[in-house]
Amino acid sequence: MILEIKDLKKKFGKFHALNGLDIMIPEGSLYGFVGPNGAGKTTAIKIMTGLLFADSGQVLINGTDVSDGLNLLKQEIGYVPDFFGVYDNLKVNEYMEFFASCYGINGLKARSRYMTLLEQVGLEDKSDFYVDSLSRGMKQRLCLARALIHDPHLLVLDEPASGLDPRTRFEFKEILKELREQGKTIFISSHVLSELSELCTDIGIIDQGKMVLSGSMEEILRRVNATNPLVISILGSKERALTILKSQPCVQTIAVKEGDIRVNFIGDQQDEAILLQQLIDAEVMVHGFSREQGSLESLFMQITDPDKEKAVLVHENESGL
Amino acid sequence: MKTNPVYKRETMVSARSFRLALILVIFNSILALVILLNMYSVVERVKLTAEIQYSSFTTLYVFVAVVEFVMLMFIMPALTAGSISGERERQTLDILLTTTMKPSEIIWGKLLSSFSTMFLMVVSSFPLLAVSFVYGGVMIHDVLLLLLCYLTVALLCGSMGICFSSLFKRSTVATVVSYGVLVFIAAGTYAVNIFMLSMARMNMDSSYASSINGVTDQANSGPCLYLLLLNPVATFYVMINKQAGVNPVISSLNNWFGPHPDNFIMNNWVLLSILIQLLLATIFILIAIKGVSQSKRRRIRKK
Repeated sequence: MILEIKDLKKKFGKFHALNGLDIMIPEGSLYGFVGPNGAGKTTAIKIMTGLLFADSGQVLINGTDVSDGLNLLKQEIGYVPDFFGVYDNLKVNEYMEFFASCYGINGLKARSRYMTLLEQVGLEDKSDFYVDSLSRGMKQRLCLARALIHDPHLLVLDEPASGLDPRTRFEFKEILKELREQGKTIFISSHVLSELSELCTDIGIIDQGKMVLSGSMEEILRRVNATNPLVISILGSKERALTILKSQPCVQTIAVKEGDIRVNFIGDQQDEAILLQQLIDAEVMVHGFSREQGSLESLFMQITDPDKEKAVLVHENESGL
Repeated sequence: MKTNPVYKRETMVSARSFRLALILVIFNSILALVILLNMYSVVERVKLTAEIQYSSFTTLYVFVAVVEFVMLMFIMPALTAGSISGERERQTLDILLTTTMKPSEIIWGKLLSSFSTMFLMVVSSFPLLAVSFVYGGVMIHDVLLLLLCYLTVALLCGSMGICFSSLFKRSTVATVVSYGVLVFIAAGTYAVNIFMLSMARMNMDSSYASSINGVTDQANSGPCLYLLLLNPVATFYVMINKQAGVNPVISSLNNWFGPHPDNFIMNNWVLLSILIQLLLATIFILIAIKGVSQSKRRRIRKK
């Protein structure tokens, strides 16, 4: 375990930003940190990076409590904030050299380190450019290179994709994958859930200052899939299929949408196999039978505001589907 | 010796910007104008009277030194009041605080870089000040004491600017508060003494019969005089007066606020006031470090 947060609490006046947050980030993982606005993501990140102190709780890096030594925390973590500025009248290589010297890395060692990083993020030909003349995407990549200058084990990114066009986001994602392959542990907070579901190995969903769901991506998507409807595609008449489905105890609701039959089926894989067999035995022309792929968006919506999700279901019922 | 990274970056960036050159040009232009006008009046007087008044060169020295002092006093807060709050506004401070640099190193780097600018201004103005050295009357220890006064006022005003810059989020607010406090120290301490002196005189007027003349000349501002130890303007005035040979230290203070007893403080006014102002500057720097440091926020309490 590279980073562990136990029962973290933080209050701003009467507002509880964090209300007993627990996070466990395994080494080598790409951990997605998701939550609605105001859930406490940035507060948690600021405490992790040493910019804020919590009211209570523990932050452990490789088992060591960071309250015993802030420098340990700073040496192990590279931070890319959601909004960051750059210095005027400073070139890219000078910017990197400045931050290298902030970590006590000087001279030739600093130069070789930052040239390697600039190459890795695709800015090696921009080293003589002024930092404030770079595009948003380039600045973001430069900030990432800056966060890696001291070779940290854990990289913390707060909404790195915000404000980036799709191509730049894709390039950024590729860089993060490469970093993960190099053994870096990456902690990323984002609202772009579709990208997180492709990129992350682990995920944590925070709401109102508490972790509401966390685990490996595989495990979470399996849970999501299990609650999603069965989509049955049939050629010809659907009458026989509908009769069979209505008699099934595991079937909760049936809806016909765009030619497919969507069934809320609470059975397990064995029950699904039995249902399929029954349809085939009844000579129903089944050409598609699968669970709808779960999405992080629907899970996120369900967990963070279940009432909204219910409203959608009610609408569907009323429309007769 | 490792160079402070913040100092290195600040000096590199300021050397590239137009602002530094503009400050130097304006600073030296004002001084040059003062000197040239003064020289012109001296020359015109010589034409009229056929007599060279060498004391006018000492007056020139005093005049230029005063103008330079006043400009330094007002330029330093402008240079430093946006140092930390500017980083906050540009959203670069958080990134800087996540590095292994200590808040004291950040503050020290900022102060050093504004000091370099001040030093550059003073050194660039020396040739202008040296016009008055041509006819003598100014000793090397006078120049060194003058430089010490400049350094003290620069450190005091600079540290004040950095202190408020770290306490306030916006540079505008920090600048306004810095100038406000500076005016309070420079003019406020003077005003307190004037007030106390007038109160003392009023008390004497009411205590004695009006037929006794000259009694109110014995009134003084009391212990409030020692507030002026905090005032860099008072220190400079006392020092420059002594150098120009116009009034010895004690007499000049007496001229302001009534007769005060001769004691250790009065006899060593300039050095003591410089020490106190340096101490005040240190306090401002410590407050600035505390303002930037995360340690002011509550620590994690272990369960």
